Amino acid sequence: MAIVVFDHIAKSYGATPALDDLSFDVGSGEIFGLLGPNGAGKSTLIRILMDIIRPNSGEVKLFGETRRRAHLDRLGYLPEERGLYTKLTVVDVMTYFGALKGLTRADARGRALAWLAKVELPEVATWKIERLSKGMGQKVQIAATLLSDPEVCVLDEPTTGLDPVNVRLVQDLLIERRKAGRTTILSTHQMNQVEMLCDRVALLNKGRLMVYGTVDDVRRRYSQPEVLVQARGSLPAVAQAAETRAANGGWRVTLRDGDAPSALLRALVEAGAEIERFEPQLAPMEDIFLRVVKEGRS
Amino acid sequence: MSRWRRMWTVATFEFISTVTRKGYLITTFGMPVFLAIYATVVAVPAIVAGRATQETTIYGVVDTADLVHLRQDVTAPKTRAVFRPVATEPDARVSLARGALAGYFVVPADFLERGVMDIYTPAAFSASNPTGRDSRDAFADLVRARLLGERVDANLSARIRDPFADARRFAVTKNGEVSDAGALASALRVVVPLLFMILFMISVMMTSGYLIQGTALEKENKVVDVLLASANPDEIMGGKLIGLGGAGLLQIGVWLSLLLIAGVGVLPVLFSGHVDVPWAAAALAIPLFPVAFLFYGSLMLGTGSLGSNARESQQLGIIWSLVAALPMFMLALVLSKPHGTASHVLTWLPTSTATVLVLRASLDPGGLAWWEVAGSVAVLAASTWLAIRIGARIFRVGLLSSGARPSFRDVLRQARLAD
Repeated sequence: MAIVVFDHIAKSYGATPALDDLSFDVGSGEIFGLLGPNGAGKSTLIRILMDIIRPNSGEVKLFGETRRRAHLDRLGYLPEERGLYTKLTVVDVMTYFGALKGLTRADARGRALAWLAKVELPEVATWKIERLSKGMGQKVQIAATLLSDPEVCVLDEPTTGLDPVNVRLVQDLLIERRKAGRTTILSTHQMNQVEMLCDRVALLNKGRLMVYGTVDDVRRRYSQPEVLVQARGSLPAVAQAAETRAANGGWRVTLRDGDAPSALLRALVEAGAEIERFEPQLAPMEDIFLRVVKEGRS
Repeated sequence: MSRWRRMWTVATFEFISTVTRKGYLITTFGMPVFLAIYATVVAVPAIVAGRATQETTIYGVVDTADLVHLRQDVTAPKTRAVFRPVATEPDARVSLARGALAGYFVVPADFLERGVMDIYTPAAFSASNPTGRDSRDAFADLVRARLLGERVDANLSARIRDPFADARRFAVTKNGEVSDAGALASALRVVVPLLFMILFMISVMMTSGYLIQGTALEKENKVVDVLLASANPDEIMGGKLIGLGGAGLLQIGVWLSLLLIAGVGVLPVLFSGHVDVPWAAAALAIPLFPVAFLFYGSLMLGTGSLGSNARESQQLGIIWSLVAALPMFMLALVLSKPHGTASHVLTWLPTSTATVLVLRASLDPGGLAWWEVAGSVAVLAASTWLAIRIGARIFRVGLLSSGARPSFRDVLRQARLAD
């Protein structure tokens, strides 16, 4: 079920178009990757979703209805350019952000303390923000965004600047949200995270939707029809293999047009091959990203 | 979550985070101490000068005409001038040169015929009595007393010399009511509206400082998007105005309380009925203060939010501080003619309605037509509503713009898209 729907969204800044008739939706309970190069229109789209700016045309639907201000209480947002009130204490700032999302001050304060423990920073509750390191500040911001348990949360580059341990911590939080049926829109340039976390993606370039679908589908769509095969002895010739060449201690087999990897596997087994490894080659998201952006430029 | 609750959340946060700030506490409680010390330092020269005037000053009188009949030192009433007879002008000159006399008068034998009298003073300039007028007045009174004393009785002499010596003053209203119009009562009629004007100016300036600085910091700290994702600009602006306005009013409340505590002895005098307290002006000031504050606060916050940093924001906001101070510069006009053309124009201008209306109601409440009060307050209320709307739109544009200040064209275009 679609929880966020962008319906023919267009936005321009003066004569400069930022978004051009953009339509797609985000499903409930998924981690959705919002991808694109700098200036593609991701931030503009997110700001339209959060009702910070208005589109020139088109409509945003949330929770099955036309977006209203009241929906903002059910949304969370961690902007890419983010900051906190440097002179205030961590728990006071988190309490304020929670209260702005409709929590009572007492509830917000309780949740703030719980979330600080969750991001492994219980000791900083009474610290002033200016005392935090960059990584600490980032984790506090993520905790402040998630403490109201928003049904839909937009995280713009949440792991930038974090060490691998903390990157894993944040990833686990996102997976936990998915398990709880919460929706996360993840805007990131780190394609390994997209492959690891996202269910579906939308790739924007120059304000247009270039790629949209599940991560597996997209990768398959942009992959060469190749399979990496390792077997004992030689690899028998089969009709489904258009070309076979040695690679990485095995063979890289290019499929005949129209044949699926499963047909090749079946044919090889029937031909007597002792298969030890059979791995259809999926294009990495990074290659897809680069290819789409390059095509957009040309 | 309702619109009002969101606004209240912002207001509570802004209020608490401001009043717990060290700078705020130092200003709130340190300012009266500083002012007390400052006033003491400033008062010292005045006290010293005051003491100097209380010291006896001796003037010589060379009475060739034997008009004043001085046989010994005579102290002039209500002054510290002592007139001492001196036999000859050269003797008096020597005494003046020695510093034994502050000056001397020579009354020639033909004074009554010609009216010429010679006055001698030291060549050195005296700041406390640069023209010597006090001593001249005192001696003139002495001469008058002596001249009249031989011809009329003492009472008549006193009335001729100063018919208003023990005068009382009363004010009669249009309804025929009589009230005290003495110095204290008259002073209160000016002091109350002036106090209102000064407090209003201070609160507008102090609070606008907090408002503009806070918003500029939010832009610099990049907190703005998080706020806008939770509340709309109207709610944020409204919350800031209430919260920071409350902090500003609390500060003024503390100062006023300290002032009242310090001057608690004045209250019985005010309530004794001998003094005409301008209650109408005081009653008008109470509702006009917050309305006018909202008017200026909205415009200041909107304009200030266009700045790309705190300093630029302060510079933009100062325009409204100057506009708010305009009635102070026009004060003489309103004081001289409370119901003149200038006073009427300033009353209907929303930028000065509050202060001028309070001033006019204090100076002459009877001369202020009810429809003028109602009309100008209605114009101010409508202007405040408009100022909040415009301020919120500019605020939205200001919050969304980061880095360079948006052009006037951008402001108009984005304000149009704001809804």
